[in-house]
Amino acid sequence: MGFVPGLLQLRLGQRQRALTALLSCSAVMVVGWLVVKERLFYWGLAVPDGKSSFDSLARLGLAVLPEILNLPAQVLGSLSAYDGSATGLRMQRLPRDFEHIAGWLTAASGMLAAFWAAAGHWELRLRRDGELDAQGQMPAPVANPALCAALSWLVPGLGHAKAGQKDKGVLLGVAVAAVFVLGLLCSGGHAVDRAQYGVWWIGQNLFGGGSLFAALVTGPMRSVETPIDLDLGIVLCTVSGLMNLVVMCDAYTVAERSALPLPAGVAGGSDEGATT
Amino acid sequence: MELLFRIAVYVPVLFLIAVVVVAQQHTAAQPILKAAVTRTLRWLVWSVALLAVMTLLELLFIGW
Repeated sequence: MGFVPGLLQLRLGQRQRALTALLSCSAVMVVGWLVVKERLFYWGLAVPDGKSSFDSLARLGLAVLPEILNLPAQVLGSLSAYDGSATGLRMQRLPRDFEHIAGWLTAASGMLAAFWAAAGHWELRLRRDGELDAQGQMPAPVANPALCAALSWLVPGLGHAKAGQKDKGVLLGVAVAAVFVLGLLCSGGHAVDRAQYGVWWIGQNLFGGGSLFAALVTGPMRSVETPIDLDLGIVLCTVSGLMNLVVMCDAYTVAERSALPLPAGVAGGSDEGATT
Repeated sequence: MELLFRIAVYVPVLFLIAVVVVAQQHTAAQPILKAAVTRTLRWLVWSVALLAVMTLLELLFIGW
């Protein structure tokens, strides 16, 4: 259900939110897709070439991450962009103007769909597990957990700040950004390039703000010679993205526990019960 | 020189990863930093142990 933006909200009876989810994810996808079109296949884990066993899967765009999270738009876009002729296959390999930012946008539509799904899941969880207070109101979190996770995707630590843990947010933000910047420095700015290192980019994109910066600034830079530490830079930027995945999950948990705290006696989330 | 550079990068990156990992069990910055130092030292010991085992395996199967 989470693969179709707005479907969870529709099930919850939130028609306006469902429409907003569907439109926002689709709009971001369409803007990026209009630039990249069949080039989208080139970034997939399997390229449709009419020969491999994954061909039909790849032809539907199901091998492209994280776009797959916005399933309807991705399948529709892939079906309409697929051209199995020699010219079509050549077009997949042909770089486009603004493809860095367009590639980021199509990926962002998948991430946005994931955050909408998280928001829907949170609402369902609140209705199932939330205990009404004395006034008969549902418990309210300090911030929406899905929003905190989305903010952390763009700026690591911002979700924690929104959930009330500012100094922890700053520390986490500095940690993730430092590893990402170190990766860019080691690689002369070429570590984050979807067309060149598509599989690594899936991990790097988990730090959305970093991959956006790379798409706007470092991605389009002309490469004169291969930097000696390019491999190290690619790994560091990917590690930074994976670190941010942990940060996003933690931001979600911090906001979640403000409304649904753990039962008494269960350790976690406090310095008293912490283990090193 | 290249190896030294990579070792110099490895240690601070290990510390920053430790910051993110231990932060899940804390709410404030100071205890996170304190716990991250301990965790980094522990991971460094494991790294050295892993390196020793790999070198030993290399000596056994490939030779000097």
